[in-house]
Amino acid sequence: MTAIHLENLGKTFGSFTALKNMNLEIADGEFVALLGPSGCGKSTTMNMIAGMIDPSEGAIRFGDRDMRGVPMSRRGVGFVFQNYAIFTHMTVYENLAYGLRATGVAKAQRDRRVHDMAEFLHLTPLLKKPSAGLSVNILQRLAIGRSAIMEPAIFLLDEPLSNVDAAFRAVMRTELKHLQREFRQTMVYVTHDQLEAMTMADRIAVMDHGKLLQVGTPIDVYNNPSSVFVAGFLGSPGMNLVKGRSVEAGGFIRVDLGEAGMSTPLPAHLSASVPEGASVFYGFRPEHCELTDGEGLRLPVTFVERIGARTIVHMGSDGSAVKCVFDNRVPVRNGEVVSLAIDPSNVRVFDAETGAAIGGAN
Amino acid sequence: MASIAFKNVTKRFGDTVAVDNISFEIADNEFFCLFGPPLSGKTTILKLILGLERPDEGEVLIDGKPVNHVSPARRNVAMVFQNLALFPHMTAEENVRFPLVERKMSSDEIAPRVADVVEKLHIGHILHKSPAQLSGGERQRVAIARALVRDPVAYLMDDPISALDARLREETRVELKRIQHELGRTLVYVTHDQEEAMSVADRIAVLENGVIRQVGAPSDIYDNPNSAYVAGMLGAPAMNLIDLDPDRPSALGGALPLEGITVPAGATKIGIRPEDLTVGYDGGGAGKPVEVYEVEPLGGVTIVTLQSEDITLRAMVRGQPQIRPSSEVSLSVANGQACFFNGQGEALSA
Repeated sequence: MTAIHLENLGKTFGSFTALKNMNLEIADGEFVALLGPSGCGKSTTMNMIAGMIDPSEGAIRFGDRDMRGVPMSRRGVGFVFQNYAIFTHMTVYENLAYGLRATGVAKAQRDRRVHDMAEFLHLTPLLKKPSAGLSVNILQRLAIGRSAIMEPAIFLLDEPLSNVDAAFRAVMRTELKHLQREFRQTMVYVTHDQLEAMTMADRIAVMDHGKLLQVGTPIDVYNNPSSVFVAGFLGSPGMNLVKGRSVEAGGFIRVDLGEAGMSTPLPAHLSASVPEGASVFYGFRPEHCELTDGEGLRLPVTFVERIGARTIVHMGSDGSAVKCVFDNRVPVRNGEVVSLAIDPSNVRVFDAETGAAIGGAN
Repeated sequence: MASIAFKNVTKRFGDTVAVDNISFEIADNEFFCLFGPPLSGKTTILKLILGLERPDEGEVLIDGKPVNHVSPARRNVAMVFQNLALFPHMTAEENVRFPLVERKMSSDEIAPRVADVVEKLHIGHILHKSPAQLSGGERQRVAIARALVRDPVAYLMDDPISALDARLREETRVELKRIQHELGRTLVYVTHDQEEAMSVADRIAVLENGVIRQVGAPSDIYDNPNSAYVAGMLGAPAMNLIDLDPDRPSALGGALPLEGITVPAGATKIGIRPEDLTVGYDGGGAGKPVEVYEVEPLGGVTIVTLQSEDITLRAMVRGQPQIRPSSEVSLSVANGQACFFNGQGEALSA
């Protein structure tokens, strides 16, 4: 069991800065997701934790132990990659037992641990099968099991689910989370998929362009994004960000959203923080809107996407494009102009120039 | 403009029956989606439409005319490939022009046709760029433009956006739907992603082992699946399929009460969508308590995985409820929204 400390961590490749000034404390037994688009620095960070590459700046400590110069094999980390590394000439059992055998674990104990892990990952019926010929899904599950069985103090996973199919990914999300809850390793999980980060991690670290932008619990980051980037990156669809200008009316600030109309007054804590006449993004989540017969933002419906349990209604265009999520029976049609009521307590406002959130959490 | 029909078409590869006696019709201008797991026959059906494969039995018809013996080139059906294979050494414009140049058309003939598709696909501003300089979505549009410039009667797409990341896929599928709507051309689309299929298609054909299990509008299939197989294919998380308790109106050994819900005669399983499985976490509830296995917050909704005896269930709860792993909750069916299946997995109506 080990905490990970990243201190002013940086990495440059020639003139390219992959990571800059990263500070992050990952607690013992915590599940942290490094989330961001490709090129954000998440894999670079993980590779430095693993010891595969050396930092250009800063330090990595496991507990109070400085990892400078400690080779990968002596860091006590388990690693699972996007492309499963399985010995295809071995059976499932032999793959699971491989690391235990290599470290000299006695046969009886080895056998017990293999069976426990196989049971946990639903691999028991396959133990005697050769790995060659197993599906991609099963191979990735086996790769996770082979690493987890060593009970590493730190478990690093780099996009482990991006090659498996969608249905299986949903199952594996639950299993991985449960695995970590059971074994309580410190887990660092790299992904570009906000859904995986949201559903599994204790905390999410959102990264972009080599910078750590925000760290927090999934719900906290989702509800109170610190910037338009984070707001848009989390959620499916992401937060709506409508460009507008703040105006004062009767002691409260409203946002003039152009053709869509005027927002309702911002709640007191936001009215107090948003200056008048500022260029801002008016942010709200797709699930925080309702169709109304009364006053609301007026937006033309451009597309109605009915996908099972939910309907995504696309509205407006360009600077005022909005998506709202309703249940599957919502009666709207393409081309119709709807009136949208937005729950004021869930409105977020961002500075249009810097992209930073204004006013903080309510 | 073209309708496409299959009449009792079978295609075998050696001992494997890839397409097994299937019949369906795709209407002119329809966005028709072939949806199923790997090896269910989706891509073979596309090849049969294109003419890259010939049926062993049955007849493929385009616009009512049998085409079994018409060569691919003369069917005038265009394919947009999975990897959006653009020629990397050509600009976007040269890529779009290519099919016409290859047919030895004159520049005077080519120019207006290229201009037409360029306008429809909004790619005028990127024509001078090479594929490497384009985003995934832009490459997509150039690939579609290249397929359309021949003015095909129908076009086919084999999993065209599966390589894009999740966010881009969500945007691109809407764009594809818009393009098809504006072009007004028959589009046959293969995907293994249920959300994509429901989002884009006018109608979906759900396949299993070379057989079409159900054809219909996405919401019809979602609400009224004809079998447990189809029910399980659409929706994420998938529909919960649970054995009914013998001799009483409940499932899960009493943990899921079904009082007031009409169970059709012969039903052995009940199917409940995750959004229709209500989770009571404030102590009340009529049924035996069930243990929470995992809680996955998605922000707008929360997926709750439950374990009851050996059965794993998933419920989708709105918002961000305070439900904890290992706590006990009660279950009920929202508004009686449930499907029933017999021992053969066939849907039964109440």
